[in-house]
Amino acid sequence: MRRIGTWIAVGGLLLSVTACGGGSGGTGGTGGTGGQAKEESLAVGFVAEPANLDFTSTEGAAIPQALLVNVYEGLVKLDQAGQIQPLLAEKWDVSDDRKTYTFTLREGVTFTNGAPFTADDVVFSLDRVKADWKLKIKSQLDMVEDVEKKDDSTAVVTLSRPSNGFLYTMATRLGAMFSRTGVADLANKPVGTGPYQLGAWRRGDSIRLDANAKYWGTKPKISTVTLKYFKDATAMNNALLTGGIDVVSSVQAPESLQQFADTSRFQTIEGTTNGEVVLSMNNGRPPFDDKKVRQAVRHAIDHRALLDTAWAGRGQLIGSMVPPTDPWYEDRTGDYPYDVAKAKQLLGGKTYDVKMRIPNLPYAVASAQVVKSQLAQVGINAEIEPLEFPARWLDVVFTKADYDLSIINHVEPRDMGIFAGKDYYFRYDNPEYGKLLASADAGTEQEQTDDLKAAAALLSQDAAADWLFLFPNLIVAKKGVTGLPENAISESFDFTGLAKQ
Amino acid sequence: MRGRLNASLVAGGVLVAIVVLAALVSFVWTPHDPTLVDAAGKLREPGDGYLLGADKFGRDTFSQLMVGARTTLYVGIVAVGIAALIGTPLGVLAGMTPLGWLSELIMRVNDLVFAFPALLLAVMLGAVYGAGTLTAMIAIGVATVPAFARVARAATMQVMVTDYILAARAAGRRRTAVAFRHVLPNISSVLIVQASVSFAIAILAEAALSFLGFGTRPPIPSWGRMLQESQELLFSTPRLALWPGLAIALAVLGFNLLGDGLRDYLDPKLRRIRAER
Repeated sequence: MRRIGTWIAVGGLLLSVTACGGGSGGTGGTGGTGGQAKEESLAVGFVAEPANLDFTSTEGAAIPQALLVNVYEGLVKLDQAGQIQPLLAEKWDVSDDRKTYTFTLREGVTFTNGAPFTADDVVFSLDRVKADWKLKIKSQLDMVEDVEKKDDSTAVVTLSRPSNGFLYTMATRLGAMFSRTGVADLANKPVGTGPYQLGAWRRGDSIRLDANAKYWGTKPKISTVTLKYFKDATAMNNALLTGGIDVVSSVQAPESLQQFADTSRFQTIEGTTNGEVVLSMNNGRPPFDDKKVRQAVRHAIDHRALLDTAWAGRGQLIGSMVPPTDPWYEDRTGDYPYDVAKAKQLLGGKTYDVKMRIPNLPYAVASAQVVKSQLAQVGINAEIEPLEFPARWLDVVFTKADYDLSIINHVEPRDMGIFAGKDYYFRYDNPEYGKLLASADAGTEQEQTDDLKAAAALLSQDAAADWLFLFPNLIVAKKGVTGLPENAISESFDFTGLAKQ
Repeated sequence: MRGRLNASLVAGGVLVAIVVLAALVSFVWTPHDPTLVDAAGKLREPGDGYLLGADKFGRDTFSQLMVGARTTLYVGIVAVGIAALIGTPLGVLAGMTPLGWLSELIMRVNDLVFAFPALLLAVMLGAVYGAGTLTAMIAIGVATVPAFARVARAATMQVMVTDYILAARAAGRRRTAVAFRHVLPNISSVLIVQASVSFAIAILAEAALSFLGFGTRPPIPSWGRMLQESQELLFSTPRLALWPGLAIALAVLGFNLLGDGLRDYLDPKLRRIRAER
């Protein structure tokens, strides 16, 4: 499946390229520092502003990032360890054939428009995904056959086939609960059950979220959160330095962290993401249709050195398409240790000239130069060709697969499936792999874990690609801000735990 | 007998000579391989064989500057070459033609191109044909054509009213012969000055394009890209931005001074003033 939309979320697009305009960052009226009693407020800097607030019709990561979990809630949510936790559902029962999910809903929950949350809203929201949503990813809930209300606080979902992906998807924006009377103007007036509601939206500048006084759960400690949007990363960093904001939600260039080295003023938090930075190899044409050549590439790259030089050592080494926060993660970094002699031996003394067509994003350009230098040592001469991202890169590499090597951060969660489509730009074709994925989705949880571990191992052994590193989640905040979501593994930036000391 | 050497000419000449020398030497020798990534030598301090230290990839800054000079000159020569080869004939034609409308047409089209910013043109070409040194050079060259055409036309018109042209015409010389035998040699000094000023602009444009990621492809060293790569380290390792910045500034200054100096040196009016003194 081709889900291009969220790729654009690769925040790097708003890259350091534009950063020449630095200077005086936004110090506008966010007033995050006042320190007055009671009313606590906090300003968080982001680089991608939503076009509107309706994530049922508009692609892009910025909308769920701001609204999911904060304004909208689902029946379940994903915690920082990647586990599914109850939210609007107190609990759920799964039938023996694993096709029927019975959700017991929390009582006393109301939407911010005053309407109570009942099983009718569950039916309404899930039916709406099929009927009204305009996103490609809605196909992830295709296995939902029927949604029924048993009573006000019990909803029953029937699937057409057992699916381990169902509950996980319910934790994403697709599982967000809408009010039957609150969907008239989703683009401007979101109505949810969450701890925050939309206060004000100054387009091109900021979104203010105010605490929901009638929230059913633990009320957030911060009464006003301002999401401040910046055109470029340098301006955002400067805003934190000058006190315009309290948190930089994601640092775009790790070297810039050195500005925030003063621990008496700032704290740096490094967590994980779902973003695997993949060195893709075109399995569909020479020379990388030859497994030995691909294996040679994996042996030729010193991943630790690459991470240290290209991304300031931030991030984690992975050896396959699984981030450590997925239950089926196994450390596969030892599969192809750095070994120049072995790589040369696999190449059998041959040399190759190949094209490395990369997106013009900072991490890709930095990594490519290291890869080129390392591959040169085993006799592979890779010519770097940066293509404008997204348009050109998507056209040439992703759509037409006209490339030998490329580097891209695959940001989608649980996206091992992309290697199963042999038309996908990797052109990886191993029927065994597809079988493992299919049996994983239909099997029990244990079977799923076992199958996916085997699938990840197969990918690694086949050298379907090389995995350079796992993209880090880097947050910088003023000292004293607590409860920041360390790992960026769900679609939202969770404000609910934030506090200020 | 030409004019005496002046300070601008000497200073500009020396600066340009340094850049040219660095570029030439880089073909046969650099202290280190400018593209070799060396993780252990990351952000190496200056000294110990690394005159100006190393960048975050462990690449020697001095070697990169030397090879970068090559890129800079290459872009300047080709861009100015394109501009001069297209702009000069157009300007001379517009200045010589008896057809008023032709002259008007050439100059108005010229104005049109002139109104289009070079950087925008380069970004556009880069988006269509892929970013690279070649597209950058062509874009900068095309955008510089009007400057040459204007200067050439103005100078040609001055020359056209002189007695010797009248004499040549009266002797039955054909227009092309007049253009090559009399006009071009007499406007060449103006064009040389224009070339050196355009060269400086081209250097700056290439640096800007590489900074934006539309110029020279990595890992081929380019001063503009060195600046861009050092940007995130501006606070911790400012020297990485200092050296390429200084190189660009000095090269641009050099070509501008050279242009100024050449103008004074070649301008007959100024020469006369000096002679009278």
